[in-house]
Amino acid sequence: MIPNIYKGDYRLLTLIPLLLIVISIFMIPNLQFGVDFRGGTLVTLQLTGTLDTTALQEDLLSNGFDSEVNVFEGTVGTTAEIEVSQTDALIEADALKEQFNDLLDEVSFLEAQSYDDPAKEAEYQEKRAELNSIADRMFELAGLNTMAELQPNLNKLRTLFSDAYLQIYSLQTEKIMEIIDAHATYDSFSTETVSAALSLHFIDQAGTVVLYSAILSVILVFFFFRAPVPSAAVLVGAFSDIVIALGAMSLFGIPLSLPSFAALLMLVGFSLDTDILLTMRILKRKGDPRENAYDAMKTGVTMSFSAIVAFSALFALAMLTHIPTYYEISAVALAGLVGDLFATWGINAVMVLHYKEKRG
Amino acid sequence: MIDHKYILGILFLLFAAGILLYAAYAGLILIFSLIIFGALSSFWKEKELKLLALAAIVLLAIVNMGVNGMKFGIDFSGGTRIPVILESPASQTTMGEMVDIIKKRASTFGLTEVKVRAVGESQINVEVPSGNPELISSVEDLLSHQGVFQGVVDGKTALGGDGILPGTIQGVPTAYLQGADWGVQFSVTRDGAEHFASTVQGKANYPLYMYLDRPTDAIVILTWEEASANLEIKDRQLAQSAFQKALVLDEGNITVYFYDEVDLSSLEPASNKTKAIVSDSLEEIVRSQLEAQGFTILVIEDEEISPHISQIGTGEFVVDKWQAVGLLSSPVLNPSVTVGTPSYGYIISGAADGVGQERQINAYNSAKSIESILKGGALPIQISIGSKTTIPAPLGEEFLRLSIIGLFLALIAISLFVSVRYRKTKILLPIIAISVSELIILLSILGSFTIDLAAMAGIIAAIGVGVDAQIVITDELLKKNQGTPHDRLENAFTIITTNVTVAIFAMLPLLFSGMVEIIGFAISTIMGSLLGLLISRPAYAALVGQIAED
Repeated sequence: MIPNIYKGDYRLLTLIPLLLIVISIFMIPNLQFGVDFRGGTLVTLQLTGTLDTTALQEDLLSNGFDSEVNVFEGTVGTTAEIEVSQTDALIEADALKEQFNDLLDEVSFLEAQSYDDPAKEAEYQEKRAELNSIADRMFELAGLNTMAELQPNLNKLRTLFSDAYLQIYSLQTEKIMEIIDAHATYDSFSTETVSAALSLHFIDQAGTVVLYSAILSVILVFFFFRAPVPSAAVLVGAFSDIVIALGAMSLFGIPLSLPSFAALLMLVGFSLDTDILLTMRILKRKGDPRENAYDAMKTGVTMSFSAIVAFSALFALAMLTHIPTYYEISAVALAGLVGDLFATWGINAVMVLHYKEKRG
Repeated sequence: MIDHKYILGILFLLFAAGILLYAAYAGLILIFSLIIFGALSSFWKEKELKLLALAAIVLLAIVNMGVNGMKFGIDFSGGTRIPVILESPASQTTMGEMVDIIKKRASTFGLTEVKVRAVGESQINVEVPSGNPELISSVEDLLSHQGVFQGVVDGKTALGGDGILPGTIQGVPTAYLQGADWGVQFSVTRDGAEHFASTVQGKANYPLYMYLDRPTDAIVILTWEEASANLEIKDRQLAQSAFQKALVLDEGNITVYFYDEVDLSSLEPASNKTKAIVSDSLEEIVRSQLEAQGFTILVIEDEEISPHISQIGTGEFVVDKWQAVGLLSSPVLNPSVTVGTPSYGYIISGAADGVGQERQINAYNSAKSIESILKGGALPIQISIGSKTTIPAPLGEEFLRLSIIGLFLALIAISLFVSVRYRKTKILLPIIAISVSELIILLSILGSFTIDLAAMAGIIAAIGVGVDAQIVITDELLKKNQGTPHDRLENAFTIITTNVTVAIFAMLPLLFSGMVEIIGFAISTIMGSLLGLLISRPAYAALVGQIAED
């Protein structure tokens, strides 16, 4: 077994995790965002032939689609993942739709008022013109050969407008599939499109979740320890863990998506687990604190390894099936668990031991 | 301690009955029984009772899986998921309304296999158990388009959805209603007003049949039992004449046939698109016969095939609701609107059933429902359609098979790891036994909701994380110099309780975020921690002697 690493000048132990954290901080700007958070279209193909990825990418680019293509071999066949970034047309269509919906009720109300009250006519005409120009822009984007003022009433305009919006989406997917068809043969495919509005919604939700999780964790940790230094140490441990996991994600190209986001949150809980075990053992047990730290390490490392074993199984499964959800969760968890070994026993243990020995 | 055993037995029977009778709530009942039994077995001192309580939970979990089966997400069963994102968060009532509207519209189109469920407060998931592009595009159409509203008076469309100005439809405060319980006002366009005025001229006290997505080319086939299910006076002639008046229309009548009266083989479809609307309980063989004759079959849920008829002021019997054909309400025309002069503003008002608060709620619901019909079944909150995912069924099955293998591999790997670490069968066997029990409980609970990819990942993770609690207790018990076994157990429990609390609270915001894609992961992680507290803890307390006195 490992010797007691806390026997000598244990402050030196902080060097490795600190180095990891510094490297991670340098890496984090390279972090990639998945379709969930960035918006765009993800096409997954079960290939039956070969695929020239560079040719496909170039062809997509010449049609105005910025893309990334990956091919994996696995037990369920060869899978290709083609990720196409959000196009300007879609972003504009989303914005137009929001403006249109905001204005529609007002215009229709003004129309009703203008029947009884001719004074409202001018205001109605002005708003109606504004609404028409939004609709005309949407029709133009959808390639529809019509004008808003040709529609007999607001209901027809509204129906046509939502048709146009859908048309823009399906036209784009059709175009992408057409280009793919020219390059690949496949027996099944799935597409996933995340609109700009939806990705903003996810970012918003994720931000809220992180905020609440952080607040709850801080409150609970302070509630359980009721002393600033150990509480701070526990939180520093969890924070370092997340930084290292994010660094590893940037290094290995694991995108930040909904599943990897969930895995990061789970890491907070896991990291706090080992930190709490360590802090309780050092502060509450009788006897030599260094021995206690070492004992805690034996238990904590066993815990970490059992989690590592389970996530390795998931990782192996991800390699076999190429299910992105499995891959993203297991890879992030593994990176974070390894990071947690260094962060907990290199930084956290040192802070709490130092605190305990100084206070006696 | 016979009483405790009694309590245990009675509780077990109660929970088992609950799981068998209320399959829809089996998951929640199981979680509840886990908490009750878990708490009892921590509280009771007797070893055998602790173990008995744990065995009871595992047994309940197995019963649930055996009787109610397990639900899998479309990732494993194949199909298409279309998330619908609301543009602003909805209250519980509004959310219920939205889910109902989508369900109703889907069933009017015969899309009964479509599953609609609310997720959090700003998302609704629509799932289609198939990858059929036609079916999916009709669902997408349904979600992104308004329905078609038709107000029919005496066989003529008096008011179309196009004639109504959408922004003007709103409830009228009771104070302005002159005695009615609820009212909805709306304005119509210039063309709409003129058309309405001329169509309803001289039709005072006629019902205005309000249809949403009325089929144009269809027949209805139903049994007399179905036709008369909601009728107070069970008179065929009377019912038939009421049906006829409601279903006649210039653009295409809908004819009603009684199953026991008509010779089905004599029916001929009017065109190659004629629909035959039938109920869920009509025999399969009759359906295929109709299909062979050239009808397109539209299957409607049993309760929706039965019309509602009531007697109006003039003594006439009027069909006022018949979901199978899209007839949703039939207010009566006030003489003042039938004189022939166009008017731009109208109010539909009515009385509500019940007394006191119940009456208010009914009035509110009636008004909301009329608003929704006039808006063409528009949802109360704007929506956008999210990322559509399609999984072919064979691929889903393969994913499930491999995932289950992965699950067992994880379990075996963890067992091997623990045996290398502790090298004592006395410690090893309980750890494995507890891990397996936890896995069964977890699968049973999550299977009652839905196991999707994220949930499966969470279950595999929980095998690794769930064993943590056992490692903490075992290591603590093996320390001979730290007080009595009981003290050491207490120390371990403090650590576990703290850990579980923190881990659960860190995940709770994710559970309530409504991010449906990863909610399964949040649930299984939280359940995994909770099991450490409710299963490992008492089980170890029961086995403590064995491990510590080695």
